[in-house]
Formats: sequence, C-alpha cells, structure tokens
Amino acid sequence: MTDAEVFLQQLITGLSNGMIIALIAIGYTMVYGIVELINFAHGDLFMLGSFLALTIVGALGLESWSGMGSVAAVLILIASSACFCGTLNWTVDRLAYRPLRRAPKLSLLVAAIGASFVLMNLGLFWGGLPLDVFSGGIAAAAPKDFPDLFPDLNVLGNSAVQITRTDVGVFAVTIPLMIGLTLLVKMTKLGKAMRAVAQNPTAAALMGISVDRVIGATFFIGGALAGAASVMYALYNNSIGFQMGYRAGMDAFTAAVLGGIGSLPGAMLGGIGIGLIRAMSDQYVESKWTNAIVFGVLILVLIFRPSGILGAKQREKV
Amino acid sequence: MVAVVRRNPTAVMLLLALAWPAVELVLPLRFHIAGSLRTVFIFAILALGLNVVSGFTGLLNLGIAAFMAIGAYAFGILTCDTYPFQIGFWPALLLTLIIGAMAGFLLGAPTIRLRGDYLAIVTLGFGEIVQDVLKNLQAITKGMQGINPLPSPTCCASGGGWTWRELQGGDHLSWYWLTLAILSVCVLAVRRLERSHIGRAWISVREDELASRAMGIRVDRVKLLAFATGASLAALSGALFASSLSSTGEPSNYDFQVSILALCIIIVGGIGSVAGVLIGSLVMIGFNSIVLVKVAEWMQEVGWSSTSNVLASPNNWKYLIFGVALVLMVRFRPQGLLPPTIEDDPAHDAPDEPGALR
Amino acid sequence: MSPTIPSVLSAACLLLFPCSGTAQELKIVSSLPRTGNANGQTTSMVNGIRMAIEEVGGHVDGYTILYEDMDDASPQRGNWDPMIEASNAEKAAANPLVVAYIGTFNSGAAKISMPILNKAGLAMVSPANTYPGLTKPGLGEKNEPKAYRPTGTINYFRIVPTDDLQGAVAADWAKELGAKKVFVLNDRELYGVGIANVFVASCAKLGIKVLGNEGVDTKAPNYRSLVTKIKALGADLVYYGGTTQNNAGQIAKDLRGGGVRVPFMVPDGCFEEAFIEAAGAENLNDTTYITFGGLPADQLTGKGAQFAKSYMEKFGTEPEAYAVYGYEAASVVLDALKRAKSKDRSGVLAALKETRDFHGAIGSWSFDENGDTTNRTMSGQTVRDGEFVFVKALGAESPKDSTNSEPKIDPLNSTKGS
Repeated sequence: MTDAEVFLQQLITGLSNGMIIALIAIGYTMVYGIVELINFAHGDLFMLGSFLALTIVGALGLESWSGMGSVAAVLILIASSACFCGTLNWTVDRLAYRPLRRAPKLSLLVAAIGASFVLMNLGLFWGGLPLDVFSGGIAAAAPKDFPDLFPDLNVLGNSAVQITRTDVGVFAVTIPLMIGLTLLVKMTKLGKAMRAVAQNPTAAALMGISVDRVIGATFFIGGALAGAASVMYALYNNSIGFQMGYRAGMDAFTAAVLGGIGSLPGAMLGGIGIGLIRAMSDQYVESKWTNAIVFGVLILVLIFRPSGILGAKQREKV
Repeated sequence: MVAVVRRNPTAVMLLLALAWPAVELVLPLRFHIAGSLRTVFIFAILALGLNVVSGFTGLLNLGIAAFMAIGAYAFGILTCDTYPFQIGFWPALLLTLIIGAMAGFLLGAPTIRLRGDYLAIVTLGFGEIVQDVLKNLQAITKGMQGINPLPSPTCCASGGGWTWRELQGGDHLSWYWLTLAILSVCVLAVRRLERSHIGRAWISVREDELASRAMGIRVDRVKLLAFATGASLAALSGALFASSLSSTGEPSNYDFQVSILALCIIIVGGIGSVAGVLIGSLVMIGFNSIVLVKVAEWMQEVGWSSTSNVLASPNNWKYLIFGVALVLMVRFRPQGLLPPTIEDDPAHDAPDEPGALR
Repeated sequence: MSPTIPSVLSAACLLLFPCSGTAQELKIVSSLPRTGNANGQTTSMVNGIRMAIEEVGGHVDGYTILYEDMDDASPQRGNWDPMIEASNAEKAAANPLVVAYIGTFNSGAAKISMPILNKAGLAMVSPANTYPGLTKPGLGEKNEPKAYRPTGTINYFRIVPTDDLQGAVAADWAKELGAKKVFVLNDRELYGVGIANVFVASCAKLGIKVLGNEGVDTKAPNYRSLVTKIKALGADLVYYGGTTQNNAGQIAKDLRGGGVRVPFMVPDGCFEEAFIEAAGAENLNDTTYITFGGLPADQLTGKGAQFAKSYMEKFGTEPEAYAVYGYEAASVVLDALKRAKSKDRSGVLAALKETRDFHGAIGSWSFDENGDTTNRTMSGQTVRDGEFVFVKALGAESPKDSTNSEPKIDPLNSTKGS
C-alpha cells in the first residue's frame, strides 16, 4: 500500500467507527439535553441491544439469508433492537430516574450508575443462555462471535483500499437516522415539546406539556437509537460482550460533550471526530497513546471553546 | 443519645471505629473485618477530597482517582528501593500531599472556568490520560508491574505490646489504627476548612457564582483552591493505599471505576457532608469488599454455590445486587444518608438551570 | 502478626462455634477472580480443584479437607481487586486451619499476597502466574524476587512455566514457520508485555526482524486501523502477547477482515474455547498458532488422560488448559499434605519444597530451588475446523538438565519496560 492509500484507508476506517460512535452519541445527547443526566446506563443498554440481535440471528437463522435477504435481516434486527432498547430505556427511566426528578441532580447520576451495573449483569446472564449462538453458554463472560451477515467484500473491487459492504451499511443506516432525528426535533410537535422541556420544564408544564410523557418519549427514542447503533456495531465488529457498554458509553459521552451538550449535529461531529482521531493516532502515533490523544484533544478543544464545538455560549444568569 | 448522634455523627462514627477492634476480640473469626475496614478509611480520605471539590464547591469531578494514582506513584517513586530517593514513609507522605496539590493546580488552572459537565469530562479525560501515561512510560512507572515493595511506616504498633517499630504487611490491626488516625486528622482539617472563610467561599460559589463574584469573592481562585485541596487529599489516600499493599499495583487500580466509586460514596452519604463521607464509605466499600465477600462465602458454606451454570454462582450476581442497592438507596434517600444541615445543603434550592436541545 | 493473636482468635472461635473447627479439619483455599471477565477460566480452574479434592475422597490421613473458593475480584473493579486480594491473604493467614493457598490468577495479584502469606508461613501454589520476577532472580526488577520473601524462605510455588520460556519457544516456532518480519502486539498488562518482550528479544537473536511492538487498547471496539498499519508494513507473522479477555479474538477477526492472512501467534492466555468462540473459527482455522506451557488434554497419558476422561464425564466438555492447571495445583498440595510429617502449615510447606518427580496430570515434574516447576514441556497448537489441534511439542527437554538449557535472555532487554 502506498502512503496515500494507507491514509485513505484510515480515513474510511475512522469515518465508519466515528459514525457508530455518533449514532450512540445522538441518543445519548438527547437524553442529556433534556434531563441533564450523564446517563452511564446508556452504554449498557446498547450492549443489551446487541445481545438481543444475536439471539434473533440464532432464532431465525439469519446467517443463511443472502442477497436482499441479508438487507432484510439487518432491517429486522435494527427494528427489533430499537424497539427493545427504547422500551427498556423507558422502563429504566420510569423505575429508576422518574422518582428522582425533583431530587438533586447528582443522585440521578448514582441511579444511572446503579442501572448500568444491573443492565451489565443482565448481559452476563444473557450470554450464559444455552443457545447455539452463545456457544451453549460455556463461558457466559466471554466475548461472543457475531456472524458476518455481510461478508466483508470490497466494493472497490481489487483496489488496495478497502470499503467493505459493512462500511457502506454503516453509512446507509447512520446518515438517514441522523437526518430523521434532526427533523424530528426541529419539525415535529414532539420535538418542539422536547426543546421546551429542555429549556424550562416548569414553563413547559405551565404551557400544557406533559413533561413526564415528553421525557419518557425522549428516553424511548434515545434508547431506540442505542438499539439501532448496537446492531451496526455488532455487524461492523462481529463480536459483542457484556462489558462492551463501558467504552461505548464513554465514547458517546465524550462525543456529546465535544460537540456541545444537547446539540445533535454536535454529537455527530464529535463522534466522527473521535473516530478519525483514533484511526490517525493508531496509524501515525502508536495505538497505546490513542486514548490519551483523544482526551487530550478534547481538553484542548474545551479550553478554547468552553461549550464544545457547536454548543451555544451559556449566558450568565442575572 | 439520639440527640448526640444527630448533633455530631462524625465524632460518634470515629469513636465507634475506635472501639471496633475491641468488639472484634469477642466475635468469631468470620466477623473479623478490621482488615477490610482500613480500605474503608483509605477510601474515606479519597472521598473527603472529592467532597471538597464536588460537595462544598459544586464542581463535578469524575477523575479524582487520577490524583490518587499520582499520589500512589509519587509515593512509590520516593520510597521504593529500586529508585534513588528512598526518603522513607513519613517524608514521602508529606511530599505526596504537596505533589497532589500541584497536580490539581496544573489541571485546574486552564480548565477551572469550564461549566458543569464540561469540567466533568475534562476531569474524566484527565483520569484516562493519567492511566495511559502510567501504563506507557514504563521506564519511570514500571508500567503494569507496579512499584514494589513499598515501606510501611515506623510508628507505634500493637502486637505483643505496643512498640515503636515498622509495620508489617500482615499487621492489619496496626494498619487499622494508622489509617483511622490519618483519617481523623483529615476529617478535622476538612471541617476546620469548611468553617473558615475559605470554606464559606466554596459554599457561596456553589450556591451562586455570580453573587459570590459580586460580593468580591475571587471565584476562580476559590475554585482552584478547592481543586488543589481535593487533589491533595486524594493523593494522600493513594499513598496510603499503595503503602498498605506494599505495592502501587497496576495503574488500573486508579481508573474511572474508582472515581465513580468515590462519587457514589459522597452522594450516597449525603453530598457536602463530612459525616456523609464516612457513612458513605462504610456503606459502599463495606458492601463491595465486605458484605458481598461474606455473603458469597456463606453461600458456599451452605452449598448454594455451584459452577454448573451462570445463574448458580453467587459471584455472577454481584453487579446486579450492587446496582439495585445503588438505585434503591438514592430512590429512598435522594439527599443521602447523612445530608448536611439545612443552611449548607446544596440540594434544598437547586436552581432551575436551563438545559438545551437543538 | 504475632503468633499469639491467631491462637487467641481461634480459641474465641472454638468457644463460640464449637462445631466449626474441630482438630480433624484442614482447609485449602483458592483466591481467583470469580467476578467479571476472567470468570470462564477461573470456573474451570475451580472445577479442577474440586475434582482433585473429590478424588482423594475429601480426606487425607483422617483429616477432612475443606475447600473455600475465594473471589479476589469485586463488582466495582470487574477484575481482581488488590484490596480484596490482600484481605483474602490476610484472612487465610489468620485462619489456623488453612494449610495451602491456591492462587493467584494474575501475577499482579500475587505480588500483593505473596509477602503476606510468606510472613504467615503459608504455602501458596499458583496455577496461572507466569511473570518470571515472582520467582527468578535476574529476570525482573533488581529487588525481585526477594521483595516477595520478607522472611527469606520460599513459600510460593507455581506449576506453570514462566513467560521467559514460553516467549522463547514461540520465537523458535515462528522461525520454523518461516517468519522473517514480525509485528508484535501486547495488551499492556504484566503477562502480555512480559511475554511479548521475550518474544521480541528472542526474535532479535534468531535474526527475525521485528517491525514493531505496540501496546493496544484492550477495550477498543476494533483494531482495523492497527491492521491497516500492519498490512502496510508487510509483516509475515503477527504475535499478540495477551489473553482472550484482552480482546485477542477481536484482533484475529480484524486481521482477517482487513485482509492480513499471515500466521497469527498467541500464548497460552488464549488457549481456551472462548478464544475460538470470540474470534470465530473461520478467522482462526489453519493460520493461528497457540503456544502452551504443558500438553493439551488429548495428548496426556496416564494420570492426565484419566483426569481428562473423568472431567469429561462430570462436566460434559473436555477440560481446558485452565482446568488442568487448577487440578494440578490442588493435586500437588494434597500430595504434599499426605507426605507432610506434621499436618499443618509448616509440614505442608516443607513437603511441597521436597516435591520431586510428582506424577501429575501434566506430566512428571519437580519444584526447583526457586519454587518453579521443572516441567519444560511446551506444546504448539493450531486451530482446525474450529477445534484446537495439537501440532508438536516445543522445546521439550528432560527436566534434569533444564537448569543449563534455559534460554539465556538478556534481562535488560527482556524486561525493559515490562
């Protein structure tokens, strides 16, 4: 591979990885924007989504579907994981967070940390199910192989630079979801209600908005995005494990803050930025410094832009 | 009696801790927890530091463990016999306090103006960077090997009468006294600080930054001081942690999970309250490293434990139990177990900060 | 701790729980990370330990053998927790019934408990630690291993060959496979870095070019950009010093997905079904090489074959390497207990030191003067049709001349930065 090819390849890898991070991050930042909760459970929710996807792959034998069948298979997985994670996120909100709406913000944070442990443990049990896709559950904690529904064919033919069909799939799923979500927040009545609640819950309630319902809907949508992202993650990386939520959640949080809290385009930008930095650092620095470089860049950005890349300047309250 | 406990829960808890080893003498072996309680004390010092930053001053810090790591490694480098310094336990302990404060100052100086969760992620990122640096700069930190052996303090120690000698690794009672004594000194110091003009400035900044500024408080300087104090205490806890294990252990002993644990301690205990830090440490660390351990042990004894499938082993339930306990704790005591008294309660009047969704 | 305190405690214990501590009971404990991601391996180890105890009927010379499976991990850490390892060791040291401590899984954890148990005169047998510095002078830091032996006597034994041996035979094997330019990855942990550094040092001696020795981020979702880098450098073999839990499966997957089809070599930290499960058989078949400090179950003869058979009957699967290690550790302890003149700590410790030509499941071996096994039998495996397949014995020598034939690795190079 020539230097230019290597650079191009890293660009593609970085973009794909970044898209997946962005997809998790926009679900994250929505909830974040409205309830101001650093949702530590988001990553673990995402993890459970991928476990559901793997279970469905096994139950329906999706591995053997080919051609357009595999596209259908992916759509089935996305739909089911999204519904599942959305519902689960709504339930977690209902049980763990909603009773704390009026409590100090930080106790909400602890509830999220607790929820994260619970979900992670559920993932451990899930991985121990005696199913063929989990290798009979011999080692519940071990990472699970996620079958390659799109064999990694290079869409560029025999070129040294590889764009696999999975890369294309990641783009094809992520971009419409991002656009759809932005439209939802900007154009629909629900979106307007969400923005109102984010601005001022008390005023929103006075205007007749059912704050709890709007927050519940936000948790559902945020969870659904995590579910969709989990399917793309599993297809792209071909392996899942019960502890993968930690890094995913951390990346999403970083992306959300880097972009500016509550800003959907910001979260996308942040996610893609992190993906690109990771790829370039792996190639041109050394992979052991990658994580430090990501956070170093984050700190630098925040020093110069204290509200993230696309975050609005916070006014001093008077 | 109840009134005394109400009025001064901190002192009561420290006195109970003082009495515990005597109680242990008459308890059967399985109830001996003094060895694990020293962990509680060490983490209480860490949480005290975090409480200064997040509790008094209201700055969310998700990277307090980084300062603990800095303390542990500074202590290791200053005392281990593979390094040229070897200055001994007590001088090193004092130096780690200063080094910790300096590290806090260095991180705080450029970032202290950031608001809310933006500062939180900077501290989180700093924690990750410290992890990577400790792992990667193997020539200095020995990477994952950890620095060992580390000296124990020479102090008045029990065991065949009280003598002035160097503590041994297995001397867990002496370690108990030592960590308890240092914790008590820290508690005293933090309470003094809390009631000094600095402490009032911290709380004032937490309650209303703009008004504080108008009153002539130099907000950035006050925040920075809180940051450095917290970092200094965290470094002290790191040094004690490393010394009590005779090894710094791996850098991942000071990772994000530890910061989260410290945060859970102060919130479960009652944010902004020194007594809360103590009870929070007891509850959280006690749960993690005493109760769960004992329960698993007991289940083995009665034969409820097997390795035949994932559900049968009690170890596989620990995350779930831990998580549910956290959720329930904040559900029923959102203000914490021992919240601060009303006049300096951060929660009683949380301002309606506007969020944003664009 | 002064000798009076435990006796006072045990007296108090007897007073309150007269049935719990009769003189005819002795206890073996193990301290392994049972919570979190090493749970799979340690479960098979504990199975092995339990089988060894069951095999002697739970009794040795009229003493009932109690066993406690202690967890040195905590949910908060998700991995071994130094504080819990320390308190496990202190707990074992304080309980006069405990005659042997089987553990630890992680070499880092051993560093914490070794000095505590050493002072208590309690024998410690590790079924898994491979970091050389724990026992061998000159291979680790300059204060190792005496830092772990405050009393100056040896109480720590291990039944697995150390990294310096395994890394060296791996390099020999790589040369046989025709490698000329290798790329080395490590997981930045004690075990992985140690073995990767030995591999690099041995490669240098064998004239194999090392293109890089990079620490990886073990929590990364994938390693595609790293693979692109390896591909561009044109390595003809990739070595990963690391374990299944540290994402070895994902690395294998991304290598193949990224079109790097050169041999992939890993150490015994990946010698478990979970590795194949995580990587996917199609990514490993015929191109993956696994070294292991011992012989795999299907190559064992005599006692080992018998163990494999009864394990199969009991648990329905072939015993994994870790199960054999666990079994072997417990067996050698029970053997020592049987030979011990006094059935207590010091008796067991003395008998363990004198273990010579022990006929165990992984062959016949002794403990040398450092407490290391004299077993030098290493084996090489590959993966075929989704199963581990034994290829050959590596670096096998008779145990007698082993002291002269240890690979001489410059300690400065081999441990730099590990």
